[in-house]
Amino acid sequence: MVKRLKNYINGRFVEASADRYIPVHNPATCQLIGECPDSSRADVDQAVKAAHAAFDEWRSTPVLSRAQYMHRLRNILEERFEDISRVVVEENGKTRDEARGEVRRAIESVDFAISVPSLMRGYKVEDISSGIDETAERQPLGVFAAITPFNFPFMVPLWFLPTAITCGNTYLIKPSPQTPLSMDLFYEIMDEIDLPEGVVNLVHGGAEASQAVMEHPDVVGVSFVGSTPVAKIVYETCGKHGKRVQAQGGAKNYIAVMPDADMAASVANIMGSAFGCAGQRCLAGSVVVAVGDAYEPLKAELLKRASGLRVGYGLEETTQMGTVISDAAKQRIEGMISAGENEGAQVVLDGRGSTIEGFEAGSFVGPTILDGVTSDMSVARDEIFGPVLSIMHAEDFDSAVDMINQSRYGNAASLFTSNGKYAREFKYRIRAGNIGINVGVAAATASFPFGGQKESFFGDLHGQGPDSIEFFTDKKILIERWL
Amino acid sequence: MSSLNTFGAIMTFAIEMETRLRDYYQSAGDAARAADADKRRANLERVRRENVTEIKLEPIEGLDEANYTLDLDVQSDAARATIEATATRFYQDVAPKINVREAQRALERCARQHAEMAP
Repeated sequence: MVKRLKNYINGRFVEASADRYIPVHNPATCQLIGECPDSSRADVDQAVKAAHAAFDEWRSTPVLSRAQYMHRLRNILEERFEDISRVVVEENGKTRDEARGEVRRAIESVDFAISVPSLMRGYKVEDISSGIDETAERQPLGVFAAITPFNFPFMVPLWFLPTAITCGNTYLIKPSPQTPLSMDLFYEIMDEIDLPEGVVNLVHGGAEASQAVMEHPDVVGVSFVGSTPVAKIVYETCGKHGKRVQAQGGAKNYIAVMPDADMAASVANIMGSAFGCAGQRCLAGSVVVAVGDAYEPLKAELLKRASGLRVGYGLEETTQMGTVISDAAKQRIEGMISAGENEGAQVVLDGRGSTIEGFEAGSFVGPTILDGVTSDMSVARDEIFGPVLSIMHAEDFDSAVDMINQSRYGNAASLFTSNGKYAREFKYRIRAGNIGINVGVAAATASFPFGGQKESFFGDLHGQGPDSIEFFTDKKILIERWL
Repeated sequence: MSSLNTFGAIMTFAIEMETRLRDYYQSAGDAARAADADKRRANLERVRRENVTEIKLEPIEGLDEANYTLDLDVQSDAARATIEATATRFYQDVAPKINVREAQRALERCARQHAEMAP
């Protein structure tokens, strides 16, 4: 039976006021697996009011008690680990291991939130003038919200919510309408841990709900992860409405490979970067720059490995690459491959028109490799967000650095080398927020900020790590003299 | 499933193998070996959950589950020796293919435990 989703407001699941429901399909089987309400501004208002009303009592709940809820949450997430990862596969199309990895990283964010009692401590200096002491205290601010993407439907909301509420704020999540089911399950779990009513809220929907979140006067801050055009809108709208905002946008991540790199080990790792999650990661390697003599062996090894990838339904453990999110995404990605071909790139491995036996209607794009790509081509400049790897050739290290720094995006870049000097130069000179040295997916763990520069990030405090404590608290200054 | 080509495929195969071994030894009245197999099953489930490192997921090559078929229909000392030898070989083959050391260590331990039960 297809589940018609409800919002979660003030401690219970409630029908949205919307009369329109967005169908949710399993992208591999094309089966209808859910109906997501296209919630209205009134639904968002109801959720924010509940969160606002809950704030005063929640912020005065001792921080150690708030952290205890996170212990309970962590335990249930471990118990329900396989259930959650299954739902992520069904709604998103990624492989079972990728979904398990996503849930694991979500749990790591809960682990980080458990440390909030230590992390939100303030500081004090005595006698800033005779008999006068100065203190900085961290205080929660009120209602925060997140607008989250389809590609990591379970992990990304948990980058924010656990830390935000353990800091004493209340929260609202508006997940992607393409992948709302794992958040529905998450709020069932949140209901189980028995938080006070209104501390966490969930509103499903699309553009209207997102707009309402960004404009609501009682929302003090918004975290967003999605495409660059929307990230810009979120940043501008939230700024206009006086909110804190961290908006992570798109990416075009380059991987440079030096001739001295261990080619077999490098390519094994590049495979995971380019084709993991069917290329639908904001940290996916999209362009590999072969430096000097690395070109021929790199191309040969990439072709060999990529053509052997088993593409299929993510719930089958032997599947090494799943689907893209939708048929529309498949059409868009295939269109971008064709555009690259028309601009002069050679399609040396073609994933267009892929069909998988038993899943003929699924949104599959096979691993694709484009060779002879140059900086002026759209496939070198624009985000594809699919399993497409472009090969470029640079004469030397400096040329590779120049190519990479031309990108308008600055999410991630990686270098494969056995030379420490090149590694150091790369880290120093590349204008991207996450750098991998012999690592193709330079993903920050929960206790580090998730970097991002240029058109990949709008804001100043990143998600995760110490930045998240800064984002979710305000430093209030107390200057005291007792006569 | 024929190919053990992912972290999950290997771990799930190992978990299912230990589950079947637990049932096999239970039906043979060997409670100690059944308990050992069940403990390994539980540990492997935990390892599959805790050590799936998203940024290190890589395709795995060269392993086929057909090479590790257990004949669990026969109850005899010889049959048990063959079963334990096959299980040992499975863990010895798969451990080096896993690129997360904690998971590798768990698989190596399973190999040692099965080797102790094989003659």
